[in-house]
Amino acid sequence: MSWAFGTAALIVLAVLLAALYRQSRRAASLQVQLDAAAIELQHLQEACSRLAPAGVVQRLVAGGGAEADTAAERKVVTALFADLVGYTAMSERLEPAVLARVLNGYFQRASDVVHEHRGHVSTFLGDGILAYFGAVQPNPWQCDDAVRAALAMRAAIKDYNVELTREGLPPLGLGIGIHRGPGLAGMIGSRERREYGFVGPTVNLAARVQSLTRVHGVDILVTEAIRERLDSRFVLAPMPAEAVKGIAEPVVTYAVREDAKAGG
Amino acid sequence: MPSPLEQVAWEPCILEPQRDRALEAYARRKQGIPNPAISYFAPVPWLARALVDLHPEYGLLLRLDHGVMDLVNLVVCQENSCRFCYAAVRAMLWAQGLSRARIEQMERDLLRADLPPRTLAAMAFGRSQSRTGPAGARAAREALARAGVDAEEMREIAFAAALVDFSNRAHTIAAVPVRPLERMPDRLHTRLMKPLVNFLIRRSRSYGRAQPLERIPEAPHRRLLQAYAGSPIAPALGAALEAMWASPVLARRCKLLIFAVVARGLDCEACGPEIVEALRKEGLSDAAIAEVLTHLDGPDLDRVERQVVSFARETIWYEPAVIQRRARALREHLTGPEVVEAIGVASLANGLCRLGATVLEPHENPSSQ
Repeated sequence: MSWAFGTAALIVLAVLLAALYRQSRRAASLQVQLDAAAIELQHLQEACSRLAPAGVVQRLVAGGGAEADTAAERKVVTALFADLVGYTAMSERLEPAVLARVLNGYFQRASDVVHEHRGHVSTFLGDGILAYFGAVQPNPWQCDDAVRAALAMRAAIKDYNVELTREGLPPLGLGIGIHRGPGLAGMIGSRERREYGFVGPTVNLAARVQSLTRVHGVDILVTEAIRERLDSRFVLAPMPAEAVKGIAEPVVTYAVREDAKAGG
Repeated sequence: MPSPLEQVAWEPCILEPQRDRALEAYARRKQGIPNPAISYFAPVPWLARALVDLHPEYGLLLRLDHGVMDLVNLVVCQENSCRFCYAAVRAMLWAQGLSRARIEQMERDLLRADLPPRTLAAMAFGRSQSRTGPAGARAAREALARAGVDAEEMREIAFAAALVDFSNRAHTIAAVPVRPLERMPDRLHTRLMKPLVNFLIRRSRSYGRAQPLERIPEAPHRRLLQAYAGSPIAPALGAALEAMWASPVLARRCKLLIFAVVARGLDCEACGPEIVEALRKEGLSDAAIAEVLTHLDGPDLDRVERQVVSFARETIWYEPAVIQRRARALREHLTGPEVVEAIGVASLANGLCRLGATVLEPHENPSSQ
């Protein structure tokens, strides 16, 4: 009797130990997953801070996204709209794979330049780039930064064209429009997909001004709102006022020649 | 024990260490253990001393719990991606007897919400002060008040966070080597000496005593010092500021310009007017000041000022490796001590401007003080 009881007790003990072992293994595995998730969350939060203002990221993390929906802010931002000249013709002549490579090389160079000048690339629209200065972090020097970024993009495209020509590919041309004004900044998009963006007439006018670069035969145009806040050492040339779609008054623009401070 | 910050890109150190036995002994006496970074800042003694003297745990706090302060330190270091300071706080916690598992648990708690509400509120406040600066100051103050933290304790939390902002920038911009600190808990000899290190650290940490503010230096930040009247923070901060202004490495006007640019970049209404007033006293016209603050340049600036003004704006929001490369570029234009002082002044300006925005009410006329 006592032998049977002892055996049963041993079996129960073995089962309990096995269960305990399984549970401890499971707990250790969960701990590792939790550690990895915590580190991943930290990295994600740091990465997000470069795409949206820190306050918005903080609210997104804390409120699961719901609170950030209602947290759009009024801001004065400088919008830079850049577009490739002759892209449509080029897209008809080049193989899609070659076209994608050329386009990616341009996007990479332009993004690096924007980032280097404290801007934030919001969207790639076909062959266009929309970037903001002063949207993610307060930036009282946003006009100077945006125009210096445009001049650096001009230089970067020039260098890139040397590479393209060496490969027998057509060189790229660039048109850039820059405008500064108020708007609403916040998380924009559908429930499934949203991004930090800026809405208001400022963005539309920057795009319209970009299209005027073809009319005036120049590569960088800024509006009066930019000119009046710009360092006087930038060399600008006034352009004739032009009517643009959606704006009642003709728009006065200035072509940017060089940054005298940087020696051209 | 890998830390979440160990993947942050970190350039080689841009400063040459310089042995200064008196400074090293001073730091050791005050902190209980040798300070591995002090030799990098030795060419500018006020900076090396301020990085030791302004640490709140050495007699500057009256109310704030040291444990809560450690957590505020950790979150602000994370916020600023300062590998050096983060590794230092971790090493201190480890030396004080916290196991690796407990430290890792604490780090997880920073991202979760299973700490007491007042502690969480203090951490959120420190994070907001560092991350959003003046723009988030009011909301952060209100959240802290809702958690039951009174004004005096709030000022101590704000000072602790500001000191970390200062320290983080100084160590990050200079790219002070991080590996020795990160590896410290893994080394056999440090593990063997852990009880001794723990004893020395505990002995050096203390709460302060209330002390009257007997004298306010004739310089900017008078209002900030007055806000801390009665606390040991005021005389310590006053002495650090006086030593900074008295340092002959960069001209006083150059240092004021750094403060002005940082205040402008943070849109700080609390500190900006005082600094602008001091620049006027240095002989800069309103037009010249406006030109510098609008375009970060101007015909009235000399060669050194032109360099540090551009550099100062880079220190407001940055990624470690990017600011480290920019600081290295500064070495081509300035002497070694000038680079160290520019880093120190810009770091202090960032800490104090964020602090001022938190503890001072804006729109007061500084000349009426």
